[in-house]
Amino acid sequence: MTAAEREQAIAEAMRAGFDLSIVDSNLALSPDERALRHDSALELVHALREAGSAYAQSSSAPKKAG
Amino acid sequence: MPNLHLLLKKLGEASVEFVIVGGYAGVLYGSSLVTNDVDICTIVSPGTVEKLRVALRDLHPIHRMTHQRLSFLEHPSAGETVQNLYLETDAGILDVLSQIDGVGDYQRLNAKAIEVELSGYKCRVISLSDLIRAKEAVGREKDLLAAKELRAIAAKRESTP
Repeated sequence: MTAAEREQAIAEAMRAGFDLSIVDSNLALSPDERALRHDSALELVHALREAGSAYAQSSSAPKKAG
Repeated sequence: MPNLHLLLKKLGEASVEFVIVGGYAGVLYGSSLVTNDVDICTIVSPGTVEKLRVALRDLHPIHRMTHQRLSFLEHPSAGETVQNLYLETDAGILDVLSQIDGVGDYQRLNAKAIEVELSGYKCRVISLSDLIRAKEAVGREKDLLAAKELRAIAAKRESTP
């Protein structure tokens, strides 16, 4: 990759909406640490999904007459 | 809850020979994108299927794309040949592929793969240039987007002395 190609690749990723400071932070880690950080994020995604569907079920459940 | 790290550790413990591909390979290169599964490329032989069964036995693996959600511990049966396996386990989704679009088979991938240590096991990971090629070959919007970030990662890695 030439210097111009490197600049272009970084500019395109930024235009696509990537926050490259997160990439910089990941690059400072070992692959093992990156995998662990990723899995924590995935765990959070799943917990939020489960909380979201529990909320949707509770809010759509028919109310009992008092 | 998924634990993709554990999934790879199990494969390492059972001495399955594979190359990590797909989004999780991107994660190992520093991608910020979160992926739901682990994709690996291997030679899907009866021997590999047996090693995968040993690796995944405690994780209740099933064929997630079959209507009956068949157990991987029982299917495929001996003598039955398969190209790919799309599994769901207690630790997450595992796709086992014999061929990667735009790149090739296990041997082709492995020739250029890099080695990283995960949980004390050495794992082979598709080369960054092959991963970009594969993402672009698939051509879905999300893969093209991922390829843009991977190109930026490649640029940053090249810039680092």
